[in-house]
Amino acid sequence: MVRNIVVLGGNSHPALVDSVCNMLGLPACNRILTKFSSGESRCEIQDSVRGKDVYIIQTGFGGNGSKLNDHFMDLCIMISACKTGSARRVTAVLPLFPYSRQPDLPYKKSGAPLFKAGSESGRKDYTFDSVPATPAPGVPRTAGLINGTDITNRLAKTVLTNGVNGVNGAGSMSPVKQTNGEAYFGANGVASPMPNTSIGSYTTHDYQNVSHIGAFQARPGYKQWVAQAGTLVANLLTCAGADHVITMDLHDPQVQGFFDVPVDNLYGRPLLKRYIQTHIPNYKEAVIISPDAGGAKRATAIADGIGVDFALIHKVMERRPTKITDRQNASMMLVGNVADRVCILIDDLVDTGNTITRAAKLLKKEGATTIYALLTHGVFSGDAINRIKASAIDKVVVTNSVPQDEHRALLGSKLDVLDISPIFAEAIRRVHHGESISVLFNND
Amino acid sequence: MSAEMANEIKLISGRSHPELSDKVAKRLGIEVARTISLNYSNQETSFTVGESVRDEDVFIVQSTTTGDVNEGLMELLIMISACRTASARRITAVIPNFPYARQDKKDKSRAPISARLVANMLQTAGANHIITVDLHASQIQGFFSVPVDNLYAEPSFLRYIRENFKTEDCVIVSPDAGGAKRATSIADHLNTAFALIHKERPRPNVVGRMVLVGNVEDKIAILVDDMADTCGTLVKAAAVLKENGAKSVLALVTHGILSGNAIETLNGSVLSALVVTNTVPLGDKVERCPKLRVIDISPTIAEAIRRTHNGESVSYLFTHAPV
Repeated sequence: MVRNIVVLGGNSHPALVDSVCNMLGLPACNRILTKFSSGESRCEIQDSVRGKDVYIIQTGFGGNGSKLNDHFMDLCIMISACKTGSARRVTAVLPLFPYSRQPDLPYKKSGAPLFKAGSESGRKDYTFDSVPATPAPGVPRTAGLINGTDITNRLAKTVLTNGVNGVNGAGSMSPVKQTNGEAYFGANGVASPMPNTSIGSYTTHDYQNVSHIGAFQARPGYKQWVAQAGTLVANLLTCAGADHVITMDLHDPQVQGFFDVPVDNLYGRPLLKRYIQTHIPNYKEAVIISPDAGGAKRATAIADGIGVDFALIHKVMERRPTKITDRQNASMMLVGNVADRVCILIDDLVDTGNTITRAAKLLKKEGATTIYALLTHGVFSGDAINRIKASAIDKVVVTNSVPQDEHRALLGSKLDVLDISPIFAEAIRRVHHGESISVLFNND
Repeated sequence: MSAEMANEIKLISGRSHPELSDKVAKRLGIEVARTISLNYSNQETSFTVGESVRDEDVFIVQSTTTGDVNEGLMELLIMISACRTASARRITAVIPNFPYARQDKKDKSRAPISARLVANMLQTAGANHIITVDLHASQIQGFFSVPVDNLYAEPSFLRYIRENFKTEDCVIVSPDAGGAKRATSIADHLNTAFALIHKERPRPNVVGRMVLVGNVEDKIAILVDDMADTCGTLVKAAAVLKENGAKSVLALVTHGILSGNAIETLNGSVLSALVVTNTVPLGDKVERCPKLRVIDISPTIAEAIRRTHNGESVSYLFTHAPV
């Protein structure tokens, strides 16, 4: 029993909240956390928090019919409510930190990042006055851009309608194909061989609004970019009133620096290490693989800790198309030897599963016998489950930093789940009593 | 042209209410900026910027989608923060229907003051200015340390009433004590009678007993309020007014949130019409409810944007609705 402490759970991971509360020997704080019919969150905290040390557990995961942004707003509202309710200290416990890993490239529907050549395809529509003028006093702003815009917009739409009708690009139209008059001639009239791919490359995971996305084109001459929300999320948590943040295996350790309040980044490493030592036969002969260069540090830490070999997969960014048939794997390169050995892929997060399934394919090709994938956070979004089912990976091991019940039901024995609630319970206890957190990870 | 005048209005639209953004853009004679918001498969919102906002005067239009307020709010915050990173000169959040406006006080122990949280979040993200319409409580402006322009739908309503009814036949009714000020203001402008309904509210979204104060006999009773959510209040108020001898009852409401079974409730009510502005996207509700009429608020918003950009006074809009 820990005194003067309140553990408040969000809706994102009730099982973890229960488990942590059990270990701390206290009941979870009574609260009402639902939505009004208007869509606004409704939060009522029913137990007193005055002068208490409050820990709010909410993971950055939306699934099972709930939404990530709802959970995040709920968290901010709960923090704020505790603050206005005179809590002594409010700690946000985020096993998976939301928005910590934002890709800087648009994604297409299947979840694979796109290396698009947008500017090339758009360049044909340039008029001489669509080049942004060098700004100078007295130089009129580029009104000519509006003209260019119309053409690209119209093109985007016509090509889209053509796509629906099954016309495969302006270059390869067969006379048998059905066309719907205007759209067909509209595309032809402009006489710009705009490849379908440039339209397709803008499709993303927003399924509801496909036509809108299809029509999206950055202004000619401007390189589109995707906003990174990591700093914003950190600022919002602080602004809501969080005095302390506990999270696990941040994708970028730099995220810690976004905060003005202390951040305790716990490690899933000891759990993964223990799993390797207890569940993988002959693990001393295995090879630890990092599926990309960014995760090399994480993987080497484990490899060094248990004294096994290490290899690395290096992603070669292909800018121009290659003629090799399996182009996907052509852009991946293995550094190290895995022939006839057990491979253990280590990464912090599996989202669409694109990286690890491709890595597994490469490893199998290089002669790996069995492939394990050990990951801290198993988000499995999009068609990750199917992709992993069909992949060469023999076993996926994740922690329950996000709810895994549904994933376990779908993946069956291919998925092993490690429990992180003892780590979080111990961290909460130590933070509350002002004891060291680092000793938890000293002997790893 | 001086260097200070070089910046232009950049209108960025969120996903919640593109129709309104288009209307505002058309009114201003500009195009909506090329940006796109999406949700990744892991449900994180991503915002892609397709044109430069450097040193521009950015206006981000984002309303609330009924049933999905948090998604829109998060998107707005990300958009603001992206424009801040992209060196916009000034960022104005145009939020026709301010989210969480009703959670504006600590009415019981440990109740969150979410409106203040939203205000703080908007400023943290980097908003320099807020434009909104008919705040539930104008005190919410005090939650901000940046300027907030609270526009009114009242001039549009006044015009609607003058164009459609003889003002001497009308009586303006406030469905609750809190809205009395809003309703008396309209009654004063029209020089009509005023009545008030007092209600008891045992729980949120549930309406109790109602008592009418004032006379509505043989008059057209016009209910005035700032938002219609589940419409329980309005429909019960309309019934009370009918019982007290009103010839017909209609309602003028700024924000048509219309959540839950609102449409069914309205269709089965004695209300002859519900007039809302398009601050909130209505979707197919207009088709589903023949009683629903929509007043376009975009001229007021567009004019406010134009005046804000040019550094002109906005107070003219508090009494006049641009045509």
